[in-house]
Formats: sequence, structure tokens, C-alpha cells
Amino acid sequence: MVDAGVNMALFAVVAVGYLALTIALGIYGYRKTLRNEDFMVGGRKINPVILALSYGATFLSTAAIIGFGGVSGQLGMGTIWLVALNILVGLIIAFIVFGKRTRRIGKRLNALTFPDFLGRAFNSPFIQVFSAAIILMGMPIYSAAVLLGGVNFVVASLDIDRNVALFGLAIIVTLYVTYGGIIAVMYNDALQGGIMFLGMLILLAVTYIELGGVVEAHQALTNLSPQVPQPLSDAGMRGWTAFPAFGSPLWYTFVTTFLLGVGIGALAQPQLAVRYMTAESGRSLNRALMVGGIFILVVVGTAYTVGPLSNVYFFNTYGETSMQYVGQNADMIIPVFVNEIFGGSLFGELFIVLFLLTLLCAAMSTLSSLLHTMGASAGYDIWRHVRANRSGSHTAEEVLHGHDKDLVRSMRAARIGTMVMIVVTVIVTYYMPANIIARSTAVFMGLTAAALLPAYTHVLFAKEPDTRAAKWSIVAGTVTWLFWGLFIQANNANQIGLRDALFPAATWPGVPYSVIDPLVIGLPVSTVVLLAFFLYGRRKGGL
Amino acid sequence: MLGIDDPWIWTGHLFAIGLTLFCLIYGWLKFNDDGEDDING
Repeated sequence: MVDAGVNMALFAVVAVGYLALTIALGIYGYRKTLRNEDFMVGGRKINPVILALSYGATFLSTAAIIGFGGVSGQLGMGTIWLVALNILVGLIIAFIVFGKRTRRIGKRLNALTFPDFLGRAFNSPFIQVFSAAIILMGMPIYSAAVLLGGVNFVVASLDIDRNVALFGLAIIVTLYVTYGGIIAVMYNDALQGGIMFLGMLILLAVTYIELGGVVEAHQALTNLSPQVPQPLSDAGMRGWTAFPAFGSPLWYTFVTTFLLGVGIGALAQPQLAVRYMTAESGRSLNRALMVGGIFILVVVGTAYTVGPLSNVYFFNTYGETSMQYVGQNADMIIPVFVNEIFGGSLFGELFIVLFLLTLLCAAMSTLSSLLHTMGASAGYDIWRHVRANRSGSHTAEEVLHGHDKDLVRSMRAARIGTMVMIVVTVIVTYYMPANIIARSTAVFMGLTAAALLPAYTHVLFAKEPDTRAAKWSIVAGTVTWLFWGLFIQANNANQIGLRDALFPAATWPGVPYSVIDPLVIGLPVSTVVLLAFFLYGRRKGGL
Repeated sequence: MLGIDDPWIWTGHLFAIGLTLFCLIYGWLKFNDDGEDDING
């Protein structure tokens, strides 16, 4: 791989200018918020384009652009179905069906976090603590994937050591989480969203121009199919412009892990549910939907199109596919490709620096929301119950419905929890292997969906939610997901190593079971358990 | 179509574009609708 890297002096100048603009917008937004007597009214008057761009920048991060863009570069354009699922499930169903009800019920319950929402809705301290524990178990893997996306882009653009980039970003994350409140205003999110949107459009246009036009680029990519590596060809890959062969091992991984894991998983993400609860009105969700659709199509669609097309560029220029050129690490394809086609000219390097800063800011705002979610899970949802249980001062139900003195203390604990989770995230990132960003995202989203989605859906739609049914559904979904993920799905089982450590001589099921994502097993199990207990409870109650 | 032979890929593109149009039209029609009336649960 040829060393790329932009001019450090140019980077420093643009970074200082960008930071100054960010702080200025932060102060402007902060003062404007302070002046508004009624924040709700102010929120309703905000320009809908600013609102939608800020939604986009918060929802999409390095995991989508770098992680799944890289997977597309390795496995082909089939990921376009993930764009469709992101819009259908992550935007249309999430906002119209789930978002409005979550906002209304969350407001009525006075819920502060997603586990708090579920706990109060079912009147169950167990559900609050258990769902917080699931977040603490899965979310560090996702937040590490978001951080790793930023690290990889810094490494490719500035040509610095991976550990130096990780350490530097860890310091920035800490500063952002501590002081970010003042700059995390809608104007800054909109600035990030705007640059990201324009940047991806420019990236798409330059890629097609570089490759001779839209049809020519696609045809050249179709003609590259003989270059598919033998192991991937044996697994079912038919080229970069074709979906994997139906029923092949690659088809199962592609559909169950990347498409369904992330497509369906987006519905039960705790950090997004909190966003619905804090939305000013149902109308702001409608408005965000309007521009949000175009934003996802352009930003994610470009990443999933440019990723595969990078193969044509690298093959024409160096005689290698993207994976060969970047040293068999899909997580480096997008960062290296952007640096390759834009490097060498002042305008190009300026674009790289602006794009890098925007991606880093988007990663920081996503990371900040993930770290706060984890901190609140540890400090507010779990620690409060542990403390009350130890001192015997309050019953679990009293803790669930909260009291002021406790709330202040738990907020302090949440802040400590957030700091601890920063350290955990950095450690997990340090040990992450290659080709991991997209898979980690699917792991977290799959776990939360398998465990929490049926219970979450139940509480939004049932007139009388059944607590016992929800409890058993959450436990069954979690246990099934963990068993399948740790022992049956070969990729996860081999990576984690618990299976071989506990049962070194055992024989486990092969294809297709070993390539099916735990979500596809765990979610039906948790759904059936919920329905069975719910119907049994109604029948018993009716007798 | 456009140099892509596999119908699964270009139908995926059409589906994604169609859903984006739905978002645009829905958001446009409901721009000032608070959306609380259509919730019965």
C-alpha cells in the first residue's frame, strides 16, 4: 500500500478554523436558547433543513460510512438493500410508528432513559436493571466500532501511527463528552450534516468522473468479477455488481447479519429512543423524515456505491482489488480510497481535511450520545437500585419511580459511569482486529433487537402491557442471542474463543447454522415467548 | 441496467429511491401536522 497523507500544516490551519467556527456556532446557539423564554416555541420555529441535517449527522456515523462502505468494497453492491432498509425501518417505521408513540408515552411516564422507559411502562425494576445491563454488555462494542472508524480515517489521512491516533482521539472524546454540551447545538450538527451531505455528493461525482462515467464504471466493475478471490467465490460471491448466490454461506451472512441485523436492529436502539422522547413535537419527526430520507440515500448510498467502485480504481491503477491494496482490512477501503482520489492537489487535500474533520465531529457526537447512554444505564438505571437494596432505605418500586435526593446522586454516578465507559471503549478499540466495524455494529444492534424489540413494541401498542410476558421475552431473547452468538455462529464463536475454551472437543452445527446471525434466532424466540405469555395471561384473566 | 446485470441490485436501488420519495411526500404533506391525533394506543 502506498503511503498517503495530507500536508500537516494545511490540516492544522483548517482544523483551527473549523474549531473556531464550531465554538462560535456553539456560543450563538447557546445564547439563542437562553434568550428564548419558551424553548418549545423556539424549537418549532427552527428552519426544517437545519433540523433535518442535524438529525442526519446524529444518526449516521463512521460505522455506517467507513464500516459498511468497506464491507461493500469487499462484498459488492448488495448493501444497497441496507440503504432501503435503513430508510424503511430506521426512518419511516421508526419515526412514524415507534417515534411518535415513544415520545408521547415517555413524556407521560417522565422517563429519562430507555431502560427507565421500559421499567416504568411495565412497572418493573427488573426490566429496568436487566435492559440497562444489556446496554452495558453490547454498547461498548458499537462505540468502539465508531471510534475505530475515526482512527482509521486519521491514520490514512495524516499518515500517523494507529496508537497515536487512538490516544489523540480518546483525549478529544473525553473533552467532547465533558464540555461538548455547549457546542452540541443544532447549528453544529447541521454544519456537520451539511458538509457530510455535500462531501458525499462530491465523492460520488468525482468517483464516476474518474472511472469514465456511470455506465462505464458499473460495466468495468461487472467485468472485474473474475478477480473475486477464490475463498469468497466458493462462499457464494458472484461479483461486485451481483447479490451473493441464494442460500450460499455468504448469502446467509450478508442477509442475516448485515441487512437484517442492522436494518431491524435500528428500531430498538436505546440512544435513538431517547431522541424520540426529547423531540419537541410529532411534527418535528414528520419534518425530519422529509429531509432524512434524502440524507440517508445520499450519504449511505454513496458509501455503499463508492466502496465497490474503488475496486475498479485500484485495479486500473495498481492491478489489485481494494482488499488486496489495503492489506485485507475492509475498514481501510473508504479512508484509503478518499485519500487516493483527492490527494495530490490543494483543492483535493482541502477536501480530505474538511471531510476528515466532519467525520470526526459526527463520530464525536454519536460517541457522546452512546457514552452518555451507557453512563446513565450504569449510574441511573443500575446503581440506584443496588444502593437502595444495600441500604434497605427504599423498595425497588420506590426507586423505579424516583425521588429527588436520589436523582441528584445518581446523576453524579452517571457522570462517573460515562468516564469509566470512555476507558472501556478505548481499551476495546485498542484490541479490535481488522474487518470488525460493520460486524460490531451488527452485534450490538442484533442483541438489543433480539432482547428488547418485542417488549418495546408490546408496551407501545398493547392497551394493558403484560409485565410477566415482557420479562420472559427479554430474558429468552438475551439468552438465545448469547448462546447462538457464543457457541453456534462460527465467526463470533471463533473470535471470542469461549466455545473452544469450554468445550474443546465438541462438534458444533455447520453451514447454514454456523453462518446465521443470532438475531434471526433470538428475535423470533423472544417474540413467541412474549405472545405465549401474553395470550396465556389473557386467557387466565378471562376465565 | 446502467451496467448492472443482477436484477437484485438494481431493484434495490429502485426500492431505496422509491422509499426516499415516500419520505419526501409524507414529510411535505404532514409538514405542519403534529401527528398526535392518529395515535390511538
